[in-house]
Amino acid sequence: MIQLKNLDKFIESRFQRVFILKGIDLTINEGEFLTLMGPSGAGKSTLLNVLGLLDEYYEGDYSFGDRSIKSMKERERSALHKSEFGYIFQAYHLIDELTVYENIETPLLYRNVSSSERKSIIANLMDRFNMVAKKDLFPAQLSGGQQQLVGIARAVAGRPRVLLADEPTGNLHSGQAKEIMEIFQELHREGTTIIQATHARENADFGTRLINMLDGKIESDEAI
Amino acid sequence: MWKNYLKISFRNLRKRKLYTGINLLGLTVALVSFIVIALYINHEWSYDRMYADYDRIYKINQEFISNGESQLVGSSPSLLPVTLLEEFPEVENATLIFDLSIFSSVMIDAGEGSQEENHYAMVDEHFFEVFDFNLIAGQKTGILSEPNQLVLTESTAKRYFGSAFNAEGKSLKVDGKDFLVTGVMEDFPSNSHLAFDFLASFKSHRHSREPEWSPSNYNNYVKLKPGTDVASFESNMAEMVEKYLGADLAEYGYETAFFTQPVTNIHLGDPTLSTIKPGTDIKYIYIFGVVAILLIAIGIINYVNLATAEATERNKEVGLRKVMGADRSQLFGQFVSESMILSLGAILLSILVIYLVAIPFENFGGVPLDLNLLFSPIGIFGLTGLFLMVGLLAGFYPSLILSGMEPMKALGNKLKIGGGAWVRKSLVVFQFFVSMGLLISTFVVKSQLDFMREVNLGYDKEQVVALNYHYTMRESIPTLRDEMIRSGAAVSIARAADMPHDVKAGYKIFPGGDNSREFMITGYAVDPELIGTINLELLAGENYTQSDPVRRGLEENGEMPILLNESAIAEMGWTSQEAIGKKVNVGFTNNAIVKGIVKDFYFSSLHQKVGPMVIFNDPEEANVLLIKLAAGNPTANLASLESIWKKLVPGRPFNPKFLDQEYASLYQSEQKVGLIFGLFSGIAIFIACMGLFGLVSYVALRRTREISIRKVLGATQGDVLKVLSFDFLKLLGISAVLAIGFGMWFSDSWLAAFANRTALTIWPFVIAILAVMILATLTIGYRSWKVFRLNPARTLKSE
Repeated sequence: MIQLKNLDKFIESRFQRVFILKGIDLTINEGEFLTLMGPSGAGKSTLLNVLGLLDEYYEGDYSFGDRSIKSMKERERSALHKSEFGYIFQAYHLIDELTVYENIETPLLYRNVSSSERKSIIANLMDRFNMVAKKDLFPAQLSGGQQQLVGIARAVAGRPRVLLADEPTGNLHSGQAKEIMEIFQELHREGTTIIQATHARENADFGTRLINMLDGKIESDEAI
Repeated sequence: MWKNYLKISFRNLRKRKLYTGINLLGLTVALVSFIVIALYINHEWSYDRMYADYDRIYKINQEFISNGESQLVGSSPSLLPVTLLEEFPEVENATLIFDLSIFSSVMIDAGEGSQEENHYAMVDEHFFEVFDFNLIAGQKTGILSEPNQLVLTESTAKRYFGSAFNAEGKSLKVDGKDFLVTGVMEDFPSNSHLAFDFLASFKSHRHSREPEWSPSNYNNYVKLKPGTDVASFESNMAEMVEKYLGADLAEYGYETAFFTQPVTNIHLGDPTLSTIKPGTDIKYIYIFGVVAILLIAIGIINYVNLATAEATERNKEVGLRKVMGADRSQLFGQFVSESMILSLGAILLSILVIYLVAIPFENFGGVPLDLNLLFSPIGIFGLTGLFLMVGLLAGFYPSLILSGMEPMKALGNKLKIGGGAWVRKSLVVFQFFVSMGLLISTFVVKSQLDFMREVNLGYDKEQVVALNYHYTMRESIPTLRDEMIRSGAAVSIARAADMPHDVKAGYKIFPGGDNSREFMITGYAVDPELIGTINLELLAGENYTQSDPVRRGLEENGEMPILLNESAIAEMGWTSQEAIGKKVNVGFTNNAIVKGIVKDFYFSSLHQKVGPMVIFNDPEEANVLLIKLAAGNPTANLASLESIWKKLVPGRPFNPKFLDQEYASLYQSEQKVGLIFGLFSGIAIFIACMGLFGLVSYVALRRTREISIRKVLGATQGDVLKVLSFDFLKLLGISAVLAIGFGMWFSDSWLAAFANRTALTIWPFVIAILAVMILATLTIGYRSWKVFRLNPARTLKSE
C-alpha cells in the first residue's frame, strides 16, 4: 500500500547538508502493525510526518497505492490525507476549548459528514471506549490515559485505513500504556494499518513488524 | 459546520475575556462615532429634498459688479418673481420670501401681552405651490393671497392657542396690527433651509403694492418646467436685466446679473448666499467623514493587532485542526466567524449606545439624529454592510496568518510570526499617528480660539451691553438715554447701526475733493458717543459732536464731518496728520470733511483683515444702544436699566446682550469644530491605548519568564518598564514624526481661513505628542507592574 524509494530529507546548513532521513526504502502492506524504534533524533517522527503527508519537503519517491504523492495536486493530496490517515500524539493534543464529544467530532466536520451520521459514529466510539459519561467534559478534566483514549477515538473517527502514532504511550504509566496498546491491537485485528514510533521495546510486541532506525537510516527490519 | 464555527468562536471569545472586551469596546466606540457622524452627514446632505420636484426648484441670487469687483448676494428684488412669472414661459411658478428677522424682531400679541419673535417672514401667495408643505388647518387655495393674513407653524399655534385647530380663524397683533390666522402648517423640518414660526402674506407689506428692481432684499425662488435648460434660462434673465435695467446700470457704472442655485445646494453651498439659515461648510462634512473612517480603522486595527499577536498562542490549535484534515478555507471560515461575531456584537451594542447619546448630541450639535433611519431599509442595509465590512476587514488578515501556518511547525511550538510583527508594528504606528494628528489639530484650533478671545480688538468689549430697539421707539431714545445715565448704572451710551464686532454696511469712496482713489469702504453709522463708549483710540484730529450735521437731513452735497480709520487713509495715501481737514466723496455726499482718524479696530470676523472704514453721524439709522455699564455689580446695574426701560417703553422687550459674549458667538462654528476635534481625538486615543494595552499584555505574557529572571537578577520595576516599553515607544516616535507633518499641513490649511491668526508655536505639537506618549507609557506601565508583581519562583517553576 505504501512504498518509499530512496527517500532523503535534509536541512541545508551553511557548510553542509544535515540528513534527517537518508536513503529510506520501505514497503508497507495493508494490514501491517509496524513499529519504528530508535533513539531520539533517529528520524522516527520525521518519517511518520512524511508518511502522513504532513511534511512535503523531501527527495525521493513516495507512492500510496499505485500513485506517486509528488505527482498529485494539492487538492488530491489533501483529500487523500483526510480519507486515509489518522493521527495520535504523545502529548494527546486535544483542543482545550472543545469537549470530549466535540474533539471527536472535529475530523468528521472537516470531512463533511452529515449530522446524523456524526452522531451515530461518535456514539459508537464513546460506547466502545467507555467514555459516554465523559462526553461533555473538557480535556483538562481528564487523566492522561483518558485523554489519549479521546485522541485515539478522534483519530479513528474518520475511519482511516492508516493510523499513525507518535510515542502514543510516552506520557502514560505502564498500566495505561498497556490498555492503549491493546486497543491498537484490536484495531489492527479489524484491518487498520498501524504505524507507531516508540522508545519502548515491549510496545513492539503488540505489532507484526519492527524497524530499528539510527541517524536517519533503517538499521534493521524484522517480522515479529 | 457554521453552527460548529459559531460555537467554537463563542467559546474562544469568552475564554479570552480581556481581549474580547478590548476589541468589543474599541469597535463599539468606533462604530458609535461612525454611525453618529454618518447620521449627521446624511442629515446635512438631505437638505431640501422633501419638496415635490425639488430638482426643478431654484433660488435666484444676484451678482453686483463694479470696477471689476464682484459681490454675490443671496437675495434679489421684489419685482423679479412677478416678471419671471409673467414673461418667462419656462417658469412654472415663482415665489418670494421676505425674511423680516434679518432687520428686526416683531412683537406678537395674542391678547396676553406681547412677545418678541425672531422667525417671522412674509411670503407671497405662491409659496405653498412651490414648497408643498402640508397644512394642518386651513385651505391651500388662495392662502396668504390677501393682506393681513397669517400662517402659523404647528408648534407656534400650540404655543399661542393650545392646538393647531384652535388657531385657525383667530386673530393676532403683529407690531400692533391685526392679522388673521388662516392656516396652520406642519413645522419646518430640521433639514429644510427654511425655518420660520410665522408666515405672513406679503400683500400686508407696502412694498408688495409697487414691486421694484431695488433693493435686493428678497429671497426669490422659481420652479422651472421639466426639461428646461438652466443655462438658457439664466441668459434669458440677462436679457431681462438689459431690457429693464440697462439704462440705469450704464448711468451708475454697475453691472448686475441674476443666477440660479439649485435649492438642494443652498445648505452646503456658498455661506454668503444662505441668508435664511446658516449653512454648513462642506469642508467640515468631508473632514468629519474622513475622521469617521479613521476611527473605524483604529478600532479594526485593534482587532487585527490583537488577533495576530494571539496567533502565537493559537498555533497549536491550528496545527491540530490541520492534522485532522481541516482545509485552509475551513480554518479561515472559523477565524472570520470570530471577528464576525465580535462585529455583530459591537454593532448591536453601538445601536444601544446611540439611543443613549442621541439627545445629548442633539443638544450639543444642534442637529437631530434620525434614529428611525437606522431601522429603515436603507439603514438596515447600511448597518449590515458595516457589520460585514468591519467583520471581514478585521478578520481577514489574522485569519490569513492563522490558517496559513504549517501544521508540524505550529504543533512543535517553534513558530514565530515574523511577518505578522512587521504589519502589527505599522498598524500601531498608524493608530498613534491618527491619535496624535487629531490631538495636534485640536490644539491648533484651540490656540487660534484663544488668540481670537484674547487679541486686542482695538475697543473695549467688557462691561458693554447692547440693547436692540425698534424704529418705532426712536422718539423715546433720547429720554431713555438721559434717564439711564442719570441713574448711575450707565457711564456712556451710544446709538449705533451695528454692533462694533460685526459692522456690515458697504459704502464706496469715489474720486473727488482731495482724494483721487476709488474703493469700497465699510460705513458705521453712529452718534458721537461711540468713541467714548467702546473706547476707540483717536490718532489725530477730534470726534464730531452732537451739533455737527447728521447724514439724514443733509442737503445735497452738504458739508459733513466724518472719521476714517488708518486703513482708509492708507488707501488714500495720507498720514493721519495730513488727512485732517481733507475733503472726500463718500457717495452720499461729496463734501465729507475728515475730522479725525481712529486706530484700526476689528469690526468684523478675524477671518478678514481690517479694511477701510468711515464713521459718520447718523443716529436715525441706528437700532442698537451700546451701553457702557458703571463699575460694580453688572446685575444690579442691568436691573436698574431694566426698570427705566419698562417705565419708558413698556411692551418692548428688554433683552441686553453682553458685547464680549456676542463677540464670542461670532466663532461658534469654530468653537464647535474645536470641541468635536477634541472629542474625536479623545476617542481615537482611548481606542488606540486600549489596543496598546492588549498588545503589551501579550508581550508581557510571552516575556514573563524573561522578566522573572531579570527580577531575580535584581531588576527594578523601572528596568522592567524600560524593557517592555522601549519597542513601543520607538513606534510611537515614528508616529510622532508623521503626526508633526500632518499637523503642519493641517494648521497651514485650517488657519489659512483666518486673515488674523495666531503665530504657530511648537507647543501644540509638543503638548499633543507628550500627552499621547505619557498615556501610552502609563498603559504599558500598568501592565508591566502587574507582571513585575508576580512571584518569580512560581513563574519560573512552571516553565
